Amino acid sequence: MTLIVFWRKQKAAIAGFHPLHQALIHQQGFSVSLRPADWNALIASLAQHHAHVRRRRWGLPDRVPAVLVPMLRVLMEDMTGKGVLSVAADLRGPGTPEKQGPQVQLPVRRPVRSVTQWFAVDPWLRMRAELRDGSVLELAVTDRVRYRKVHKVNPRGKHKTKTKTKTVRRIAVTRRTAKGAPVQRPGTPPPPWIRVRLKNGERTVITAVAKIPAGDDRSLPEHILHVSTETFRWTRRTR
Amino acid sequence: MDEEDPLTPCDVTTGFFVLARCGRPAVVGCPRCGRPVCDRHAGPQGLCPECAGPQNDDPYDPRWAGGYRRRYYSSSSQTYNDTTWYSSFDDYDRGGFNTGDDYSYGSGDFGDDDGGFVDS
Repeated sequence: MTLIVFWRKQKAAIAGFHPLHQALIHQQGFSVSLRPADWNALIASLAQHHAHVRRRRWGLPDRVPAVLVPMLRVLMEDMTGKGVLSVAADLRGPGTPEKQGPQVQLPVRRPVRSVTQWFAVDPWLRMRAELRDGSVLELAVTDRVRYRKVHKVNPRGKHKTKTKTKTVRRIAVTRRTAKGAPVQRPGTPPPPWIRVRLKNGERTVITAVAKIPAGDDRSLPEHILHVSTETFRWTRRTR
Repeated sequence: MDEEDPLTPCDVTTGFFVLARCGRPAVVGCPRCGRPVCDRHAGPQGLCPECAGPQNDDPYDPRWAGGYRRRYYSSSSQTYNDTTWYSSFDDYDRGGFNTGDDYSYGSGDFGDDDGGFVDS
């Protein structure tokens, strides 16, 4: 009897990857707090992925190289080796059943027979970093997807259904400054698509929120950083 | 690699939003601009990151964030219409923005007739 083992080399390669790398392959996400050296070990493992794994089923989610790795790199630049960087990534997408909201029927006119609408809320990335100036930066990226399933019947009695989606991406960045850190209003206001809130106290809390249409994920790190920038413009540089 | 000089700190800018000098003991002076560089930041032939040339676009590369920071500060300065944001870089750092000058450091490429979007 001959035992055929498929994808043997690729399975062996995956078994040798970092545990969080394996979680991204099999569960498309993880939630963990690590120090920068440990994150660098994960990134080094992720960099080896395409050299060893070609099977599409075991591919990394597109948002790993496009968003997760760049954001890890950027946040770690502002951390000391002892700071903790927490990441909760859920890259399964908005189609997951637990992310779906209740369905409602919208009023219709003929030839449309029914329109069913529901929303999915997908908080797919949350990060928290303890920065070297004593402040803490938290960011969250949430996709809100509106689904509309339209059912219509044409004059010849043919039934057609189609589903339309519209995604709005919400980026929220909160920075808690170090105790007693001076805060000063920046010379220019932020762009109109960024809203800012300030909460004074022992630690000033600066929150910047933006809603943007969901587009190419490759440009998302720049959008996240544009929102994050506002929270840093309120404090003096520590150089 | 050269010997560490504890009296001369590395002058490379580190961080992304919270900028600071590296400060580790320098092991070599950049042969092009002369700034002291530590073993962590010394590139080929002891060049500092700015003089070593454009960084690649691969975020898996540990040096990616340094190169991306220069591009990002340029674009965010325009997004915010905030020249002070960009000018928090010094001449060393801004050298990376001036394409065509081979990342050189000096007054010539950073003068008033630079044509850039910042009055430095």
